[in-house]
Amino acid sequence: MAEKPSIAIGQVMENRSVAPGHFLLTIRLPLSFATPIPGQFVMIRDPDRDEPLLPRPISVYGFQREDGHAILNLLCRVAGRGTSLFSRLNSGSTLTVLGPLGRGFTIDPDVRQILLVAGGVGAAPLAFLLQECVFSKPHSAKRQVTAYLGAGTAELLTGLNRFEGFCNLRTATDDGSCGYHGNVTEMLALDLGEYDAKSTLILACGPMAMIRSLDLLLRDTRIRCQVSLEERMACGVGACLGCVVAIKEGEGRNGYRRVCHDGPVFDIGEIHWNPPVEG
Amino acid sequence: MEADKNTVVPGRLAVDLCGLVLKNPVMTASGTFGYGEEYAPFCDLNRLGAIVVKGLSLEPRAGNPPPRIMETRCGMLNAVGLQNVGVRAFIAKKLPFLRQFNVAVIANIFGETIDEYRRVTEILTHAAGVNAIEVNISCPNVKKGGVAFGAHPDAAASVTEAVRGETDLPVIVKLTPNVTDITEIAQAVESAGADAVSLINTLTGMSVDIERRRPHLANVTGGLSGPAVKPVALRMVWQVIRSVKIPVIGIGGISTAADALEFLITGASAVQIGTANFIHPAATMEIIDGIEDYMIRHRIGCMQDLLGSLQTDG
Repeated sequence: MAEKPSIAIGQVMENRSVAPGHFLLTIRLPLSFATPIPGQFVMIRDPDRDEPLLPRPISVYGFQREDGHAILNLLCRVAGRGTSLFSRLNSGSTLTVLGPLGRGFTIDPDVRQILLVAGGVGAAPLAFLLQECVFSKPHSAKRQVTAYLGAGTAELLTGLNRFEGFCNLRTATDDGSCGYHGNVTEMLALDLGEYDAKSTLILACGPMAMIRSLDLLLRDTRIRCQVSLEERMACGVGACLGCVVAIKEGEGRNGYRRVCHDGPVFDIGEIHWNPPVEG
Repeated sequence: MEADKNTVVPGRLAVDLCGLVLKNPVMTASGTFGYGEEYAPFCDLNRLGAIVVKGLSLEPRAGNPPPRIMETRCGMLNAVGLQNVGVRAFIAKKLPFLRQFNVAVIANIFGETIDEYRRVTEILTHAAGVNAIEVNISCPNVKKGGVAFGAHPDAAASVTEAVRGETDLPVIVKLTPNVTDITEIAQAVESAGADAVSLINTLTGMSVDIERRRPHLANVTGGLSGPAVKPVALRMVWQVIRSVKIPVIGIGGISTAADALEFLITGASAVQIGTANFIHPAATMEIIDGIEDYMIRHRIGCMQDLLGSLQTDG
């Protein structure tokens, strides 16, 4: 059960570049900050700046409690003006942190095999999930975890160290500089037949193109798959209706659901790729 | 006897808005605060002057396709297209939550036809727990209804009359700034029986992704809100206050207590906080506190002494 979100003032303990255009923020928060569920996110904002106005949604990469504080790790890709400014924050800077927000991944008790499928910085929430699986859950020993991580190049396989040694690991790069030469979905397709559909769960996060090809790949299988989506957000709490995704609602009806509040994690089969446009 | 400036006078912030007594003049703007429940973890809803809920239509509306929002310098564009659960689901599923709190609930309504406005009003009037109706004749993001009614004095008056004839609740008409003369529309709705006007809704705007050479919003255009629109909103509030006798509710880029005070001093009877909720979920709480601090600092005992206290030369 998700704990109640709050608005907290965080202090940047470390801000480190981990790859071109990628950085890792370590933020110290009050102990009262609720423990995130893997797949949940936070909205962060620099309170000392009037601009940009809106906080930016970043999924949780790591969370621990130590020495009377909560420590939050965020692995970010520079995607625009907001994240570009975050990438230049110095240690000691303050950030407002709203969260944890959204609906995270859910793993049913009958799952024996978890496949983590990530594209680029989409590895972040899956690394957090793996951390929680490995270190927290008592029944995790009965579960196999295999990660399929893809990126443009070897150096863009961010967060790799959070997977190495903790699960079976396969990598794919577009340029062939590390692992499989091609995209992560193609690599997964080669292995998919080895997994028992009934007891396997895929958890994925990455660019929409990856999620869409994953949807096509899984369409004829019975493998369950949850995906964490990304969308521009204003409020992050379900009020503004800005971050919606088209969802199949049954009986041939479609509707828009909020990525921030109803997601960001959805069953892949729920996503409607070609929704009709309302007149 | 001089009042202790640190004493909080009970009801110091209270305002009477066309018969609706609010504990303070700070409301949430429609579409920026959901149905209240979204912000309950971050705000004490009991402290708000009023909650104006997301615009309600007769039937549920899916809204516009994404992308729906884009941040711009000092503001944001949205083209949500009035996605909402519909008036019946609001009454069944959302209103009971709001009724737990000691806060006025203002239902913002929208219709594609005058008859739809009438029917939504009728349904809300018969539901216990709605304190006022705010009529949206100013949404720029839908093809039918919305601003089509708000841009012409006669059409605005017709909608107002229809709603007025259906309810004894206070009727607030929300005006669009996307007109040549907003005072003309304000006077038309006043004559048609509106108890108050609220303004401004968003300014129609646009933004282009130069790499993809596509509009940032699927709807191409959207409504601009946030600090960028505040001076325009304040100017229009000032104009409307001078042209009608009914109360005016100021909306547009209000992010701080100082912003709210500009509108109140100019003569707005209340203010609505919109985009600021997205920036800081507890913005309304800080604005209420800031208005109170200002009144204590300036030894102003009641809102009546503050509202419309603007001094101009000539």
